[in-house]
Amino acid sequence: MTETAIELTGLTKRFGSFTAVDDLSLQVERGEIFGLLGPNGSGKTTTINMISGLSHPTSGAITVLGTNVLTDPRTIRRSLGTVPQENALYEELTAEANLRFHADLFDVPKKGLDKKITELLELAQLQERRKSRVSTFSGGMKRRLALVRAMLHEPELLYFDEPTLGVDVQSRHDLWDRILELKQRGTTVLITSNYLEEANALCDRLAIIDRGRLVALDSPSNLRRSFGDTVLEMRTRPAPGDDVVRKVRALPGVVSAIASDSSLKVTVEGGADVTGKVVTEVVGWTSLEEIQSREPSLDEVFLSLTGRELRE
Amino acid sequence: MSVRHNLRVVRAVAGADIRLTLREPLFAIIGVLVPINFLLLFLLFAISGGQAPIAVVMNDRGPLAEQFVQAMGNSSSFIIHTASAADAEREIRSGSIVAVVTVPQEFDAALAAKARIDIPVEVNNLNVDFTNDIRRAVPLSIMSFYADAFPAQVVVTARESDVQAQDTGYIPYLAVSIMVAGLMLASLLQSSVNTARDYELGTIKELALAPVSRLTIGVGKVLGAAALAAASALLLLAVVIFFIGVHPLHPFEVLGFGLLILAAFLALGVLVGTLVRRRQQAIPLSIAAVLPLFFLSGPFGPANWLGAIPGAIAAASPLTYAIAAFQHAFHGYQTAPQGLTADAIVLAVFTAVAVALAAFAFGRRGARQ
Repeated sequence: MTETAIELTGLTKRFGSFTAVDDLSLQVERGEIFGLLGPNGSGKTTTINMISGLSHPTSGAITVLGTNVLTDPRTIRRSLGTVPQENALYEELTAEANLRFHADLFDVPKKGLDKKITELLELAQLQERRKSRVSTFSGGMKRRLALVRAMLHEPELLYFDEPTLGVDVQSRHDLWDRILELKQRGTTVLITSNYLEEANALCDRLAIIDRGRLVALDSPSNLRRSFGDTVLEMRTRPAPGDDVVRKVRALPGVVSAIASDSSLKVTVEGGADVTGKVVTEVVGWTSLEEIQSREPSLDEVFLSLTGRELRE
Repeated sequence: MSVRHNLRVVRAVAGADIRLTLREPLFAIIGVLVPINFLLLFLLFAISGGQAPIAVVMNDRGPLAEQFVQAMGNSSSFIIHTASAADAEREIRSGSIVAVVTVPQEFDAALAAKARIDIPVEVNNLNVDFTNDIRRAVPLSIMSFYADAFPAQVVVTARESDVQAQDTGYIPYLAVSIMVAGLMLASLLQSSVNTARDYELGTIKELALAPVSRLTIGVGKVLGAAALAAASALLLLAVVIFFIGVHPLHPFEVLGFGLLILAAFLALGVLVGTLVRRRQQAIPLSIAAVLPLFFLSGPFGPANWLGAIPGAIAAASPLTYAIAAFQHAFHGYQTAPQGLTADAIVLAVFTAVAVALAAFAFGRRGARQ
């Protein structure tokens, strides 16, 4: 059995003159939780559609669980569980009817199906609502139902699109726990998310793509470190002028320095020594009222790699 | 993927579509009742447009005067009631009748004396269609009356020989044509709405990610819509048989051609639903597709009678062949020279093309929303 769950090689997808995915190559190992991150329109959904065989690449190769997606997409779909962003539940059918419909589509054996449905509804804490129409469920309940539906045919690979979009904090943490449980069972989980906190909490490795290209691929902690060791947030009076910012940026070990109103945010690499030099420089020009030191966030890594401009 | 799995999916998709439609009463009502409404609307149009309400003022009650009024009644052009001159004048001024025909005093005596008789006809000529009906029907009634009352004096008469074994009324003829359009509308509506719903609600992804072919999913969707369209078709048939009194002479032809029409337009419905992907657009588009096709397909008489250009357009419409086949199934006569076998071949080819187009579009578009 191959240890690679997904292998993309030179994957490219063009729509006319627009290149949605551009020469993307990466591997997802079996049993890991892998995050695919990127701004809106970066090519995440196109990539996922190609992985699940819904869309054909213009060029490149995709192997999922050792099978070529282009030649045998139906075999892949049998091993792939999907929780789409919009849930794709039949809201006017009951929770149980949705699961039975899925069982028919994926040819889940009828023997033992009742027991399996009961177990999954208990797992989703929806057993008491099994005969209720899905339209009466909260966002979190729908999400949990969509998750256990994707688990019904026991897929080896589970894709979760924006796992906790639109759900409350309790439901979010509950869903995270369930995704981590899936990993413990040996299921490979692929998620796409715009919540970097979520990606940080769940993913073993992250790929950040932008404009269809892979711009970073590593564990969350390594990605943060690549951005710098420490972020210094300083409040000064008067506000730091352009001269101060320019001087700070010129210091060795400083990755970035951004001023706004009366604050200055400096990312440094090189530990306390560099921090001391930054503070000395700042107090030479202005009065330092407050300083905080912390690790870089994934948000900062993401923005530094993909820019701050708004995407449609 | 086994045959058993395919059948399981077909049954599941069809069952889900039926349940979903029944749980959304508005769409169920639209799907089943719109075709019935279509039938009733056109029949009302035909009934109301066929005969003009008129008042007859009887200033002579002699037997010949009565016979004249009876001849007008037999012309199938008027809805007649007698009224006083004052009442008739009030009715025509208020717009409740199209014309006032006055039988003059001494009508019988003048006829006996072979004197000239002027019959005053006052017409509300606001609608030229009704006005022309009156202009044609009154002289015809006079001729008909004269031929009956004084056969020896009418030396020129038409001697009719009929091609068909029996006359067919306008309403029974039209009812069969409208029924075909109703079948088409029922299948197109159900199928397009069922398909568009999956795109609209995002559930197409659940279907597209299943490890079965799109064709299997499509067959399930067509069968689900077929069950609902069949309910509508049975209602249409019941109205035609029990309310209008038109009984099929060849029931198996009705069944065979009915299934062919359902299959063709159910497949086209999948195509429409896949292309528009919204129920609110699928419904008006289905109705908009049926109406012109209906009028271009010889619903009021054989398509060949429409003239060169409309006739050529009708020849390209599958509904023309469906109407011709149904007229044969119900009334037993050929309304077009191509014959029943040609009707069946054209409809079968059209069905095959519709199914291929639907399968291509549904397969190609897949889960893209």
